[in-house]
Parts: sequence; structure tokens; C-alpha cells
Amino acid sequence: MAFLEGRRSKDRDTGLQMAPMIDCVFLLLIFFMVTAIMKVEPNFTVTLPRSDTQHEFPRKKFNVFIGQNDEISVDDQVFNLDSMERFLASHKDHISTLIIKGDKYARHGTVIDVMERAKLQLDKEDGQEIALAVREEL
Amino acid sequence: MQAKKQMRKSKKGVELDMAPMIDCVFLLLIFFMVATTFAPMPGLRVQLPPPGKPNPNKPKGLIIRIANPEPGQFQGVMMLNEDVVQFENMFDMLVNKPDEVKSMLIIQSERDVMHEQIIRIMDISKQSGIDKIGFAVVARE
Repeated sequence: MAFLEGRRSKDRDTGLQMAPMIDCVFLLLIFFMVTAIMKVEPNFTVTLPRSDTQHEFPRKKFNVFIGQNDEISVDDQVFNLDSMERFLASHKDHISTLIIKGDKYARHGTVIDVMERAKLQLDKEDGQEIALAVREEL
Repeated sequence: MQAKKQMRKSKKGVELDMAPMIDCVFLLLIFFMVATTFAPMPGLRVQLPPPGKPNPNKPKGLIIRIANPEPGQFQGVMMLNEDVVQFENMFDMLVNKPDEVKSMLIIQSERDVMHEQIIRIMDISKQSGIDKIGFAVVARE
């Protein structure tokens, strides 16, 4: 009888230990919150061109979108060439790779203009570079 | 006296209720786990020359000139040096060029050429072993 009782009381003690689990969960939560980059897209659609050779870049904030009708936007803010340059200048400390997402039917002249302006603001010696985005093959 | 006793008792009873907080935290955790993408973004690297110093020398090597596409067309006519070239035979033409001119390819294009055509030329030239690509556009009117 005493044996049975002892067993039962032991059973009752083996509850799930909450405190370390909550610690773990919080840690994971903070990790995902810090690493998450929210996808922001402009209000025009951009279809990226496809390409066979490609390089892989880490996803970052501050993507420049160029639409079919010469729209320029950085993330979801619409700009023209001059205001885009000013915006990049004020955020240049946060840019390592500037990814230009040009629509496949965007005019090449506009893409070149954007690259020219971005080049004026980015510093190659600091490792800041420009990339032209291509379509992800699924 | 009695009021004091009751207060103390209720104070002892105040405990943070863990269960709903854990529910919330789990929900947030699952949201961020689902929303996070670790996949890299595919792209083409462009290395531009330092600003304000256009090269005064006439560039040697390969030049592809692209005209504005005709209305209703998606592609402009392409000329590799003096020959009209299509996407189908561009790779063969570039690969068979001697090595000394293969150091660089200059894409000289009009402003209305579509971005896709340029990406495709960059693609083909990289496949044929030309890594340096320069851009030249007609100045804005």
C-alpha cells in the first residue's frame, strides 16, 4: 500500500515544467521577431525578368521597384528620381546591397537613371553594391 | 483590522495568470515563424564605375547596340559590332570571339528598350564567359 501511494504522489509531481519552456519560447519569439523582414510591395505590380545565370543576395529592406510606366518606389513609398536619391542618401547607412527590381517591360533608360543616382549615394569601398533582381525559379 | 486582513489575503492571491500569456506568445511565435523567409533573393550583380568619371577613351572590344523596339514589339534590333544579331545566335557569336576582345561587353541602348532584353543579353554574355559589362545610354533629350 505504501508502495502504491508513493508511486501516485510521484506521478503527481511529474507535471510539465513550465518555466524553462516559456524561456525557450520567448527566446525563439525574440529571434524570429528580430530576423523577420516584412515584405513590402508598391501599389504597382512588378514582374521580374527571368535569367539563367544568377547570384544569390540576402533579402534586405530598401528594394527599389521600377514599374512598366516609369514608376519608381522604394519599398512602398513612391518617388521620382530626385526624391529617391534624397531618400537613399538619408538611409544609406542601412543599405548593404541595393536590389533593383525592374519590371521586365520597364524602360532601360529609367533603370539606368536609377542606377546612376544610386551609384552617387552608395560607397563601393564600404561594400555597398547594386543588384538587378531576377525571377525566382520555383 | 478585518479590512487589513482581507487586503493582505487578496494581495497574496494576486498571481500572474500564465496560461493566456503563453497562448499569446505561442501565437506570435507561430506567426513570425510562418512569416519569416530565409530564402535568398536571386539577382545579377552590377559593378558600376565610380561616379563622375566617364571614360574618355573610345572603348575597345564588343559593343552591342540596341535600337528602340518598333511599336507593338517587345524587342529592339540588336547589332553586335557591325552585324545584326538575334538571341538564338548571340551565344555562338560571343563565344567564338577572340579572347582579347572578350574582356568587356558594352551594351549601348536606346532608352525605350525593355529591361528584360538587357537582362537576357547580360545572361548570355555571362554564359559565354564575358563578366564585365558596361552600359551606355543615349542622353535624355
